Amino acid sequence: MLQVNHINTFIGRKKIVKDVSFRVNPGSIVGLIGPNGAGKTTIMKTILGLTKFTGKISVENKSVTENDHGALTRVGALIEHPAIYPFLTGLENLKLYSLDEADMNHVVSLLGMTSYINNKSKDYSMGMKQKLGIAIALLNKPQLVILDEPMNGLDIEATILIRKIIKQYAAQGSAFLISSHVLGELQKVMTNVLLITEGKIIVDQPIDEFNRVSHQQFRLLTEDMPATEKLFRDNRIPITKTDNYLLIARDQSYPVQDILYSHHIRLLELSPQGLNFEQTIVSLLEQQRRQNHEK
Amino acid sequence: MRTNLYREFYKFSHKKVTWFAPLLVLFLMVAFGFATGKDQPQLLAMTCYGSSEGILLTLIIVVSSIFSMEFQNHAILTVLYKSPSKHYVYLAKLIVALGYNLILHLGAILLTFVLTLTGIAKPISWLAVYQYHQPLIINMLTTSSVDFITATLLISIIFLTSCLINSNAVVVTLNMVIIFVGNDISYNFLLQNAHLADFARWNPFNMLDLTKQYYNQAMIQATSLTTFQLIIGASTYVLAFLMTGYLVFRKKRF
Repeated sequence: MLQVNHINTFIGRKKIVKDVSFRVNPGSIVGLIGPNGAGKTTIMKTILGLTKFTGKISVENKSVTENDHGALTRVGALIEHPAIYPFLTGLENLKLYSLDEADMNHVVSLLGMTSYINNKSKDYSMGMKQKLGIAIALLNKPQLVILDEPMNGLDIEATILIRKIIKQYAAQGSAFLISSHVLGELQKVMTNVLLITEGKIIVDQPIDEFNRVSHQQFRLLTEDMPATEKLFRDNRIPITKTDNYLLIARDQSYPVQDILYSHHIRLLELSPQGLNFEQTIVSLLEQQRRQNHEK
Repeated sequence: MRTNLYREFYKFSHKKVTWFAPLLVLFLMVAFGFATGKDQPQLLAMTCYGSSEGILLTLIIVVSSIFSMEFQNHAILTVLYKSPSKHYVYLAKLIVALGYNLILHLGAILLTFVLTLTGIAKPISWLAVYQYHQPLIINMLTTSSVDFITATLLISIIFLTSCLINSNAVVVTLNMVIIFVGNDISYNFLLQNAHLADFARWNPFNMLDLTKQYYNQAMIQATSLTTFQLIIGASTYVLAFLMTGYLVFRKKRF
């Protein structure tokens, strides 16, 4: 479906996306996760041929370039803001891009927009505009849908509905690339995780595998936590601070015991710890930041 | 390309300003009719009741929004990725603007025929020989054609400034200044720098006097160019501005 090979994107002289490669297969829902400024939106824009890049992007084996969007005929996207003309009604906004009226009406009813679709979109609430933007992305039975923060401005009912629709389209073979800061929502739909920081992909895994690996951490408590923390930092042992504990990677569990013993710090607890999704992401980003800093 | 054109025409035709701005042309034509209709009815008919100024104003108001609506409504990304290439977007917008220009001129011709029947101005004979040893109706059609070139020059300037500046208000103001003050700047510059005239008379502001010079040949004193030279200059600038605008649009980061 979507194949991204070694792409680099520049803004001016600054490299924003650095040698990024990944695939999005039919029916998969890939969550593109990363902190602000990591390059998520730039990657999405690059896939849509909206920025200058090196490397290769193909959709259904057809190349996408900055000046040739022929491969994007069955790609839908919502990037940054919904593209809505306020002087048009919701339906007229959809008509601009729709190739199939029956499909357009299906999307309208699926998103529960029937009651206001003929009103001028300038009168829409933020959530209604967001739904219209998602509707534009879902038009024409897309093979690939790219959604940048799709849950922005949506109420809880709309969020649940969009989640259901995404799963429904994916079950029919559409592939999704979704970025969102609402990790909890993303976790409920995605089949694959793409974690990006400073323009580089640091995790590209199926969600099941990611969850399995991410649980391999240990929770640590000693009689002198400030001294322990300093000791680990001095010894370059990656740690994540929680309320009262330090989290360490499973493979560090033996070395840390040796270090603590040699510094006469009594170990009170060392137990396997399951991190939740958000904590895992934060921990991975912190580790990566530390590694980059050390380099 | 057909899809791009359909989208552009659809948006353009659904904007109220597209339909209301031409009322400005009608208003100015009627005002001109009352102002000069008794003294110079033939000149009034030749200039389509002075429709040129109204058409230029309308074009500034309407055409400048062709690009700015995409930026203001955050729609430019969708417009671009839904198009096979950036030049399709630019070309479709240009065709819509030129089509609107043509419709405004045809509308002005039609209104001129209607207004001559209303008695605002003294009665005229369309077949009487007036300027250039030609019947008045030919004078009027040629003036409209020449004005179409002047208006196209303005469209090319609007396209260039719209690609450089995202704000509609700034684009409108800048182009208003260009059409109302541009030719005065050119005239005064030529007057005070006679030694540079050979070169400076080809400046783009000078070309905006093309229509005026066609119906008032004394304008050659101000422009220092023949009407034919003005047509060549204006056409060259149209191409140069449109191509520069396209290059800016192509390189622009969205």
